[in-house]
Amino acid sequence: MAVQLTPKDFATATPSWWCPGCGDFGVLSALKQAMADLGKIPKDVAFVSGIGCSGKISGYLHSYAFHGVHGRALPVATAVKLANKDLTVIAAGGDGDGYAIGAGHFLHAVRRNPDITYIVMDNQTYGLTKGQSSPTSQAGYVTGTSPQGNPDAPINGLSIALAAGGTFLARGFSAHPKILVDLIKQAVAHKGFSIVEVMSPCVTFNKINTYAWFKENTYYVTDDPNYDATNRTGAFEVLNSDEKMPLGVIYRDSRATFEALTHLPEIPVAHANLDAHAPELATIMESYR
Amino acid sequence: MIVNDIEIMFGGQAGDGSLTTGDLIAGVFKRMGLEVYTYKDFPSRIRGGHTNYVIRAGERTNYGMADFVDGLVAFDLEAVEVHIEELRPGGFVIFDNTSDQLTDAVKRDDVTWYEVPLAKMAKEDLGLELVRNTISLGVLGALVGMDSEIMKADVAGVYKRKGEKVVDINVRAVEAGENYVKEHFGEWPRAYGLKAKPDGDRLIMMGNDAIGYGALVAGCRFMAGYPITPATDVLEWMAKYAPRFGGVAVQAEDELAAINMVIGAAFTGVRSMTATSGPGQALMTEAIGLAGVLEIPIVVVECARAGPSTGMPTKTEQSNLNHLIFSGHGEIPRIVLAPGTVEDSFYLTVAAFNLAEKYQCPVFVLSEQALCQSKATLPKLDLSRVEIDRGKLVLDPVVFGEYKRFAFTDDGVSPRVIPGVEGGMHLAAGSEHNDAGVITENAKNRTRMMDKRFRKLDTAKPDLPTPLLHGDPQAEIGIIGYGSNRGPIVESQDRMARNGIATRFLELRTLWPFPEDEVRDFIADAKHVFVVENNYTGQLERLIRYVVGPLERMHRVLKYNGRPFHPIEISDEIEKHADVRPLVKV
Ligand SMILES: Cc1ncc(C[n+]2csc(CCOP(=O)(O)OP(=O)(O)O)c2C)c(N)n1
Ligand code: SF4
Ligand SMILES: [Mg+2]
Repeated sequence: MAVQLTPKDFATATPSWWCPGCGDFGVLSALKQAMADLGKIPKDVAFVSGIGCSGKISGYLHSYAFHGVHGRALPVATAVKLANKDLTVIAAGGDGDGYAIGAGHFLHAVRRNPDITYIVMDNQTYGLTKGQSSPTSQAGYVTGTSPQGNPDAPINGLSIALAAGGTFLARGFSAHPKILVDLIKQAVAHKGFSIVEVMSPCVTFNKINTYAWFKENTYYVTDDPNYDATNRTGAFEVLNSDEKMPLGVIYRDSRATFEALTHLPEIPVAHANLDAHAPELATIMESYR
Repeated sequence: MIVNDIEIMFGGQAGDGSLTTGDLIAGVFKRMGLEVYTYKDFPSRIRGGHTNYVIRAGERTNYGMADFVDGLVAFDLEAVEVHIEELRPGGFVIFDNTSDQLTDAVKRDDVTWYEVPLAKMAKEDLGLELVRNTISLGVLGALVGMDSEIMKADVAGVYKRKGEKVVDINVRAVEAGENYVKEHFGEWPRAYGLKAKPDGDRLIMMGNDAIGYGALVAGCRFMAGYPITPATDVLEWMAKYAPRFGGVAVQAEDELAAINMVIGAAFTGVRSMTATSGPGQALMTEAIGLAGVLEIPIVVVECARAGPSTGMPTKTEQSNLNHLIFSGHGEIPRIVLAPGTVEDSFYLTVAAFNLAEKYQCPVFVLSEQALCQSKATLPKLDLSRVEIDRGKLVLDPVVFGEYKRFAFTDDGVSPRVIPGVEGGMHLAAGSEHNDAGVITENAKNRTRMMDKRFRKLDTAKPDLPTPLLHGDPQAEIGIIGYGSNRGPIVESQDRMARNGIATRFLELRTLWPFPEDEVRDFIADAKHVFVVENNYTGQLERLIRYVVGPLERMHRVLKYNGRPFHPIEISDEIEKHADVRPLVKV
């Protein structure tokens, strides 16, 4: 029997670059705990991140980690899964990474439904570039690039994903580690594209959406024992309500994954036998007579 | 008299089937034992707009277009108006006079006119207007001496999928065309003297098919792309064949996704590629830099078209050379290969995958519309020549802590693990990193890392496809070029040789790292060097000056109207230089 790993086994020796108190610490520790609880082993985990304070997270998870360019974590992660479906593939990045520069990929990942997990570390600002407004910043948010207040209305990533056919939508809060671990575990276990949007306060730049603000303005959908996460209309309602922000598993559904629909072979593509002299290859030439 | 060499042009409106007809003719010529080259000149729209398809057949291999067209098959007056000047004196026109009438303005009297009511015959005699093109095949075949049996067999083959009735009517259409010639134009002298000989062990393939096939044979099992002319064929090819070999092809949402997918699949250990053209190439630039710094092997096929911006999407150009070599912020090692024939498109694509994995860097295969969408005959491809070399790929467990993904090595190449390998866990970061992959901005490390990455190109040098020398090695006149210009240049050399001017031509197949030594040697004792390319700014000529140094005796021969060179355009330009001409013309 394999030895049960602990969160420590998923830690790297690299010291973190995050400011003390940053919400991203909570995301990282929950992720490590979830990996250990799920019995994952580092060599079979591919962890792809975007660019931003949040994107640094791939350097802190002992795994095959990939820190690419801004906004493109999802195409990379989708392809990693296609290339080797036996890997556990997780992508992570900020609200800017996922909902601004990478918004197109977000929508298309939802459509494709690859069996990967996407963690959006939402601090409602651009942390790494020092506090400009992001796609999830509140209207009126005053920053260096929006001195008269952010003129754009915030977008609701989960609601967009729901409309586009998302199959697992959850939202967590980085200050609620236990629940976050559970959400990530459910997401990784889900067969299909699972999104965990984590409210992860930027203590340095976002003075509005603070820990206290989230405590005040959020609730768990499971507070209502009758909440049905398989009811699409109900999910739309809670996501778009003007009241408090819903947390927990908001919606789950099941449909064929991208890997199934692209008819991936049994053997992972990465292990395909490469034989330039296979007779089937010579046959193709005959069609060009 | 021209023996066994002919160029036919079909001209009509886009979507009227002239492409199928042109392909059919190309096949018939091939089965008659001739060498074939085709060139498609079509507008960037699906229906309507003048289009033409040129089919050249004869006894030499690796053609480009000829200087003049021998026979024009014109389905409307516009085709005559646009192309009449391109006809060789003594050539001929087959003109469909069903609805358009010839005007005096176009009626050159040094060509022979065959007016045939093609559409009318199709509709009235055969009851199906669609077979107009097939009738024209019969007419053409009878006039130039194509093998009627081969033609009918090929026509039957093409329409087999559509059922017996369709086959039957098309075969009758060929016969109707042949009969029309017999009845109305008497015994044609068959001046083209086309002689059938055994087809032999040959293929007829489009450049893009050769790229797709080369990739598959080389072990490419992942492709992601976004449709763009003239590269889409490659994605379609892989979408058809990759799954049969345990692979996958993805149509991505844009080129940003496509290239990042290719990088993700390659990181995971799959030989991966994308194919794109100018605009898509521009979008991929940032991520290609990522592949360079992450030392991930990827193959990027660029099927160049006329830019900038949307430019002329269906026209050919060699204006992306600078882009492939210099694009991107920061500096990465990269390799740029450029095949000059359909056959070489196969072999260089195979080479690209080996180079990418051996040197862990992006490798570009640069083709152009006039090559990648052209069909040509070629000898059977030699699969026994293909060897898959995966370089320093590590699949066995390594010791965590000892293993370093970006280890500083003498040759610059570090052993490469893929996800799933025990002990190989690391961070692959586009940020500068140390040998273990940890992000660092340490000054010493930066210098060492840059040196290590670029050292790979020195290591790769002996492994890169070498230039080919065509013509007279002793000649004083040198020509340098690459890609689709190979055919026209070689043919211009023959023409100049007939005029008593000896030339040698260096066909570059690796454009980066630049084959500095070969080019320096080549130009050292040349009286003149002509650099032939399809762009405005002389990108290759500038590159030679940049790498090898300025040279007064170097001249540009440029064409940038979206069409490939005719051989005579090259020889005329070269012969313009007074001291190039022999004193006595022989
Ligand atoms: C193509 C590109 N444009 C801009 C940047 C600069 N940049 C780095 S991170 C970032 C925004 C990060 O915001 P977010 O994704 O929310 O991450 P956070 O830092 O808030 O975690 C930007 C604009 C970049 N790295 N690449
Ligand atoms: S700037 Fe904000 S998001 Fe970035 S590390 Fe600091 S607290 Fe976290
Ligand atoms: Mg952010």
